[in-house]
Amino acid sequence: MMMFFPWKRALRKKTVWFSLIVMLALGMVAAFAPWLAPHDPYQWSLVGAHSSLPPMWVNNPFKPGLAIYPLGTDNYGRDVLSRLIFGTRTAFFLALTAVPLAAFIGTLVGLISGYAGGRLDAAIMLFSDMIQSLPGIMFLVIIVLIFRSMLSPSWLHGLITLVIGFAAVSWVGLARQIRINVMLIKSQLFVEAAVGLGASPLFVITQHLFPNVLHVILVWIINNIPAVILLEAVLGYIGVGVTSAIDGGEFTVTSWGGMFFSGRSALSRNPLMLMIPSLCILLISMSFILLGDFLNETTRQEQE
Amino acid sequence: MPHRIFSCSSQCCLARKAKIMGKTILRILLRKFARVIAILVGATLIMFLLMHAIPGNPWGNYSSSPRMMLGMYIDKSTQLALSHHFGLDLPLWRQFTRYILGDFEKDGSFTCGVVCGNLGPSIQQRGRTVQAVLFEPPKGMTFWESRFGYSIRLVLFGSLIAVGLGIPLGILSAAKSKSVISRIISVGLAALISIPNFVLGLLAIIVLASWLKLIRVLPDWSNPSNWIIPAFVLAVMPMASIARVMRASLMNILSEDYVRTARAKGLTRTRVMLVHVMRNALVPMITFLGPTLMEMFTGLFIVESLYSFPGFGREYWKAVLSLDYPMIMGLTLLYATGIVLVFVLIDVLCAILDPRIRSVKQRGAV
Repeated sequence: MMMFFPWKRALRKKTVWFSLIVMLALGMVAAFAPWLAPHDPYQWSLVGAHSSLPPMWVNNPFKPGLAIYPLGTDNYGRDVLSRLIFGTRTAFFLALTAVPLAAFIGTLVGLISGYAGGRLDAAIMLFSDMIQSLPGIMFLVIIVLIFRSMLSPSWLHGLITLVIGFAAVSWVGLARQIRINVMLIKSQLFVEAAVGLGASPLFVITQHLFPNVLHVILVWIINNIPAVILLEAVLGYIGVGVTSAIDGGEFTVTSWGGMFFSGRSALSRNPLMLMIPSLCILLISMSFILLGDFLNETTRQEQE
Repeated sequence: MPHRIFSCSSQCCLARKAKIMGKTILRILLRKFARVIAILVGATLIMFLLMHAIPGNPWGNYSSSPRMMLGMYIDKSTQLALSHHFGLDLPLWRQFTRYILGDFEKDGSFTCGVVCGNLGPSIQQRGRTVQAVLFEPPKGMTFWESRFGYSIRLVLFGSLIAVGLGIPLGILSAAKSKSVISRIISVGLAALISIPNFVLGLLAIIVLASWLKLIRVLPDWSNPSNWIIPAFVLAVMPMASIARVMRASLMNILSEDYVRTARAKGLTRTRVMLVHVMRNALVPMITFLGPTLMEMFTGLFIVESLYSFPGFGREYWKAVLSLDYPMIMGLTLLYATGIVLVFVLIDVLCAILDPRIRSVKQRGAV
């Protein structure tokens, strides 16, 4: 992908600069979280009245902000900044596992259904119509509810639940796009020539069809990374996200969605607890959207 | 085969052609109808299996409610009796056919299922049927005051905002694609998509209600001006994505040769935009509009609980948490029906707007 990326044209655009810098910065934050975070994100400090602190610049006479907790603390006395920094890891993990998994399923189904055609294609399309006519968020919530009793409480398992849920819901859109593209490509001469030369279906799919739909997959992945991060936030806010996927998971995982959940109760005291994670989400998802826009534009210009 | 029939031109032949076309259309409609039914049954089946896979039963699942704290458990024998009463002790396939088609009671009488419009009794709201909870307005009110009516009104209001703002914004930023305004609009739209809608809703409450005192936090919904904020919060994300898709498809069309030709032969910019470009942009727009506006129903879950709005989105959420099986099924069915109908509507609209699609269908390539 690095080779096909139009670097020359990209570096002339401010939006691409913005998105690359944001991605790089947040990636660094995720990678070096233990060294950057000023506190342990799971450390309670109820004793020294360090819980529910406002940000450091607030001059409340009853509870002034402390310089060691720059963005304040939540109601268990855990440092908000550290939780934010460690939450970046969760977001990156989700983006880098859930979306590729969904893309993999969608590509597989789309290729098979588009190439095979006939009865199999009709059956697959009927099934994907069924999935599509279910309300997405509720589907996800139910999957999380099912899995949360099965898995033991650890950092990974809450995430796996969400990854499975996202993949189960969102492969449908990609499968449809790929199916239509495959049907268009299949009718072209070079595929017929390959079949005429005796190529097996597997060879045609992997060597001729897949490379020709690769750009669809890449654009889909870039467009859906913000979607999964937003979804995690929404699920966290209503209380079934990564952090609360298992009972007690709130104390072993940090995620931006979980911060919304704890920020909801502290809304009147410290609205920043809600605003700061949403600012992070805004930055990262905007950078992916702008990058996707740029890629769309370049493919359009190349087609002309 | 139909080719030869359509190409004949004598009078008697035309009548035959019309007859055969009527038959094909009837067949297409029948096939569409069967497909819709299959999708609905399949979707409810998926939801049925999933919701029964959620651990726990409706009677023991009070772990988060005040009953638990007060030690008010439902004892085992009562639980069994309740399960029997609601038919939860039957095997799963029996429960499903019972829900869809109906079942014979012990005394031999037949109760009809979903096919007769009976969505079953709600488990958690005792004594009320699901259709009563959803569609029945409080005493002395019109249909629009029911839960369904409230949600539908909110979504209609929201879609009006989304379409009414999104399409003009898209056109504006495509028409002046090289200007500063267009860049500001496109970055702004990217930002609007990236904000979770509950954050927007909370911001609206904080800024408009507690700082500026423009709205009341507990509004009465008979006053139309109170609807603006929830509808707007609901509409922001669809609006932004509609505008982006509009812009992209307009940009695609604007670079086509026939647009340049139309400009070159002296037509004004407005006329080219409205007649030549818009007509071609409408078809992809409509296929996009349907699912996007349906997604507002998912947004309802959040917005309704933020503003304590008396619609059915909140009901869905409560039903999933308290395992109110018939309620989950009813709401899923409602949602799925809405989506499927919208997709059928889109097909029809596209065929009306784009004659090419129609002619392909007539040749039998459905």
